[in-house]
Parts: sequence; structure tokens; C-alpha cells
Amino acid sequence: MRLSLHTAPEVPLETDCLCPDQLLGKSAKEIAKLLVFHGNQRAELGEFFHIQEGAQNGTVTVEGDLAKVKQVGAGMSDGKLRIVGNVGAHLGAEMRGGEIVVEGSAGDWVGREMRGGRITILGDAGHLVGSAVRGAAVGMTGGEIFILGSAKNEVGNGMRRGLIAIAGDSGDFTGVNLKAGTVVVLGNLGLRSGAGMVRGTILSTQPAELLPTFCYDTTYRPPIVRTLLLYLRRQGFTIEDVYINGPYRRFSGDAIELNKGEILLYAG
Amino acid sequence: MSEANTIKNAVCTFCGCVCDDIELVVAPDGKSITRAGNACELGRAWFLEHKVEDYPVALIDGQETSLEEAIEAAAEILVKAKFPAVYGLSDTTCEAQKEAVAIADFLNGNIDTTTSVCHGPSGMAFQGIGESTASLGEIKNRADFILYWGGNPVEAHPRHFERYSFKAEGKYLPQGRAARTVVVVDVRKTKSAQEADIFLQVKPGCDFEVLWALRALVRGRFVDASIEERTGISMEVLKDLVERMKACRFGVIFFGMGLSMTRGRHFNVAALLALATDLNQFTHFVANPVRGHGNVTGADNVVSWQTGYPFGVNFNRGYPRFNPGEFTTVDVLARGEADALLVVASDPAANFPRKAIEHLHRIPVITLDPKPTRTSQIAKVAFTVAPYGVSVGGTVYRMDNVALPLRPAIKSPYPSDEEILRRLKEKILELKGIKRQAA
Repeated sequence: MRLSLHTAPEVPLETDCLCPDQLLGKSAKEIAKLLVFHGNQRAELGEFFHIQEGAQNGTVTVEGDLAKVKQVGAGMSDGKLRIVGNVGAHLGAEMRGGEIVVEGSAGDWVGREMRGGRITILGDAGHLVGSAVRGAAVGMTGGEIFILGSAKNEVGNGMRRGLIAIAGDSGDFTGVNLKAGTVVVLGNLGLRSGAGMVRGTILSTQPAELLPTFCYDTTYRPPIVRTLLLYLRRQGFTIEDVYINGPYRRFSGDAIELNKGEILLYAG
Repeated sequence: MSEANTIKNAVCTFCGCVCDDIELVVAPDGKSITRAGNACELGRAWFLEHKVEDYPVALIDGQETSLEEAIEAAAEILVKAKFPAVYGLSDTTCEAQKEAVAIADFLNGNIDTTTSVCHGPSGMAFQGIGESTASLGEIKNRADFILYWGGNPVEAHPRHFERYSFKAEGKYLPQGRAARTVVVVDVRKTKSAQEADIFLQVKPGCDFEVLWALRALVRGRFVDASIEERTGISMEVLKDLVERMKACRFGVIFFGMGLSMTRGRHFNVAALLALATDLNQFTHFVANPVRGHGNVTGADNVVSWQTGYPFGVNFNRGYPRFNPGEFTTVDVLARGEADALLVVASDPAANFPRKAIEHLHRIPVITLDPKPTRTSQIAKVAFTVAPYGVSVGGTVYRMDNVALPLRPAIKSPYPSDEEILRRLKEKILELKGIKRQAA
């Protein structure tokens, strides 16, 4: 199935229905009538998208500049959603399963409070990837988010389980308030990574300045790093052998909290 | 000078101190204020510069028009918009703020206040950490340890020291200044810093690291020795400060925009609030924001009371949603999302980032302000209103969430924000065909 944007929204368009669970099995006519919010107006999906039916093995392809389209794939539990173009905020929010691939960049809150499934973004992502909503303590609790470009601040805020990998740089407060789970940044970490982290792992292949409440433990070659990075390489990340084999410096923190989190920095 | 044209205990709404002991003397013609006793330099200027002037009450596209026509034009713009946004509200009464929230609600629009560009991060931190707080009266009477972080009250809130803080004589601290320890933390030696017992000059952008180290020391945890090199504050100084904080009987940390608007924003404030919380293991400790505009605290209170959230609230889907960064005005303008803007008592065209201002030029803007502003000059519809506190009565909130009634001194020929907003609301209801039951 293929949806292409024919009318660009003037104001933010919220399309919770743009998700394979809700689209597959429906006719083009039924899909065109699905409810969306164009700013404060109720509208129909067909006012913005051409819908082309066709068996594509459970895959829905959406084309066009969706930068003003929010909540795409929110709550998704199955199937595959392929987005050709940029996409707006809250992509795959509270997603439980299935796969989203964005051939472009995404806005803020990618995989907010995600529980399962996989999101791959070939371009950049905004702030708060895999995070908790404001006022909540726990962010992502499962699944994988792969960003082939860079991400901004607060990656994995309050994350409890799952994997976030970023090929480029991340912004400030990467892995802030991390409960557990893994954040891999192959580029540079921003400032104050792991502030308030309880458990979990933050890994970077580049040097980083850490908070004064992180304490150096040792330099070693943990087997898990090799396993993890080889896995990421198979997912399309370009990782040099030195990082896969190389030694890592381990810092534990955040001392203000349990001190059971770890930050691993490449020590080659 | 007769008794009739002197107003005692008038309330100054220039800054968040909201001093309520001002003595105003009104000129015999009733059109200006000639003296503002007890007021600081800023307060004096605020009262004395208000004169009854001769602007048109309403303008459409810069042309003078009647109030009715302007209200109708404004209502039509807002009803037609798909993403109408309401912004400002920090320099008007709570009564007017209430009407503005109602307008945003009926329009299914967006509402945000100037909090989002000053202490918005503090609002987010309160939500995340909680707020250990006290009224300024309690602080004046009890606090024997006072710390100012990222603020310069001498220049921004000139009477803060003498009315609410260390220069005041407290009920339980009759020796006043001598009985209190005063600490200032800032990136430069401000005039406020010169009054302190201890001044900590932090390298710019390192507030979070210092706060984090203080938290760790209070909790007896590890702090890396590199702290001095990175922040400019030595471990000894930090340890000494922690001991003083733990040993006081009632401590307070006042924090300003030097903390909430520098790199780290809500995490900076959250770290400071968490420090106050940590210190409550040892003694009584509170943290209070030092707020700028006269009734910005009222805006937080009214918007919270009416929507459940303090700022950055969106009604697009018929119920309130809170998300700073997504629904804050700077962001909805910079991303080109809002398609109409109602500005009450603020001047975004003068102080927003360039991208947001560019969008302001592309959409219809409606302004309510006592004087022409940069925003009113680009507005489709501009109303001239009576200034609150000087000509309009009502309620304002002091920075410590204490509500105070205003005592206006001079009559203004212009309507109040509240009156225009109420009439605008009625017009919007009429255009949308919404019928409300009489209370």
C-alpha cells in the first residue's frame, strides 16, 4: 500500500491513524475517511493523501514532506511503515511492535515511551529520542531506535530497556535519568551525558567530558561491546574494526544516584 | 494636596516583587501620578511615566477604527484560524488571564505565556522534582542562610533585599543582616555579588556541574577532583558551602534566569530544586524563583488552575495538552505552525528569535497593549488598553504565589484587557454558534 501527500498541511497535522495496524485490510475508500486533526479542525486522511491499494507484504509506504505531520506510526504494533521524506514529531510514539523506516529526517520525540519494535532513521532526529513525556519518570521500555545521522538533546531520557544507536553526534544530556538500557553514540556525546542515571550503559567511540560524579574504574575489552557493535554493523552502521576490538575506559555513575550505570569511552 | 488624590498601600506591578506599600500622589487633573513614595527607581519610572495619552483605542491595519469593529475583525481572524495561538499575559490581571484561557479553549487553540521564555524551564523542573517553597514573609522572618543563584536583584528587583530578604529585620532574626549568611553565585561580579558574604564566580555554562557536585557532597558521594579546573570553584569552597548550608536553621536559594535560561535550562533548575530537597535531610531548606514581570506568577497560576498546566498548553484536540518545545510560542512560530496570534501585554516582535519574528510578519497578529510596541506596529488589529495597576484594578500574584489586590490611581479612557478579552470571547462564541447556559 502506498500513500502520497498531495496537499501539504498549512498547520500541524496529527495522524495517529497513519500506522499499518489501522491501514492494512482496509480499502482505499475506507482509509481516505480516517480521522486526522489539521490544527484544530477534524479532517479526513484523503484530504491530504492519495491512497494506492496493493499487496506489499504488510508494508505501508508514505511519500512526501511530512515535516508538519505528527504522531505518524503512534501506537503501532505490527507491520512495516516506510516513510520516503522527512517526518514530524512523535514518530512511533508508544509503539509496541513492527518496524518504521524513515528515508529522511525526523522531528522531536522519536519513539517516545516506545515499548517494542524498531525505528530506523536514515537522516537526523530531533530532541528527546526514546524519552519519557514531561512529568513522567520512565521513557522507552523496549525496542530499538537506529539513527544513521545525528540526534539532539535528551536522547533516552528516563529509558528503562531497549537500544538506541546513533551513527553521528548526540546532544546534551544523552541518557539522562537512564534507568537501564543501552545508548550507543558513534560520534560525539554532548555535555552532561548520563546525568542522574541509575543503571544502564552509554557507549561512545569518541572522547567525552563527563560530570564530576562519574568515577573511572578500569580500561578493558568487554565482550558485550564487540557483540553489540557487530550487531549494529549488520543493521547498516559503519563501524571501524578498531572500535569493535579496541579497549574501552569504564566510568561508573551517577554517584548521586545508585552509581550502577556505566559510561564506556573508546580508549584507543 | 488633598487626601482624596493620595493612594496609600498601592501595588507596584513593574517586577515580580509586587511591592504593596507604595504611596501614590495623583496630579490635580487626575491624568498622571506625580509621586510614588517607597517605590524603587524602576517602580518610580513605572508609575510616573504613565500619562493619559491620545492613541486611538483600536487600529485595523494601522487605521483608526471603532472598538466594535476591531473586536469583530479580531474574532473573525481567530475563528478562521486553524492553529490560533494566545501569548503574553504576564503584565495583566488574573481576571484578564482567565478570559484569555477561555478564548484559547473555545478556539481549540494554543495558549502560552512569557513564562516560556523566562522561568519555563523552572515550571518543567517543578513538575519533575517538586518544589520545596516558602512565602517571602517566612523567608524574611526566618531565613538565616540566603543564596542567590544566577540573578542580580540589586539591578532587576531593587527592593528584594530590603523587603523580603537579608536586609530586612526578621521576627526571629532581629539583628537582620548580621544574623544571616548571604551567598551569591554568578558568572560575573554583579552589584548583588558585592553585597554578599561569599561570592562564587562560576565559569559560564557550568552551573549544572557545580550544582551536581554540591548535591553529591551533601549526600556524601564521589566528586571528581577536576571540578575546580572545570567550574572555577575549588573543592574546599564547595565543601565549606555545603557545611554552611547543612548547619543553618532555615536556608533559601533564590534562582534567576541566569540558571533557567543558560545551557541545561530545566536540568539546571531541577538540579537546584533537588539540592534543596537533599538539604531537607539536614535542615529546613527552600528554593524560590525570582520572577521578572509583575504578574507572570499569576499567569502560571491562572493557566494551571484552568488547564492543569502552567504554560505551553494546546487545545487542538479539545482537551489540554502540555509540551514545552512543541506548544511554546517561540517554537510554534519558528516552525511556521501558528496561523494567527493574539498577544496580550507582550512584545514578541522585539524579543523573539529571528525565525519566529519572520513568521509573525506572515500571519495576522492581534495585540492588546497600553502603548504602541514593535508587535502592535505589525499587527492586523491593535487595541490600546488601560495599564494594570495604574488604571485597572484586579488581582496579581507576587513571585512567591501570594495574591494581592491592585489599587489603581488614575482613570484611563481606554478599556481594560479583561473587558476587551471578554467581549472578544463573546464575539467568538457568537461566530462559532456556541450557546452557554447562564450561571
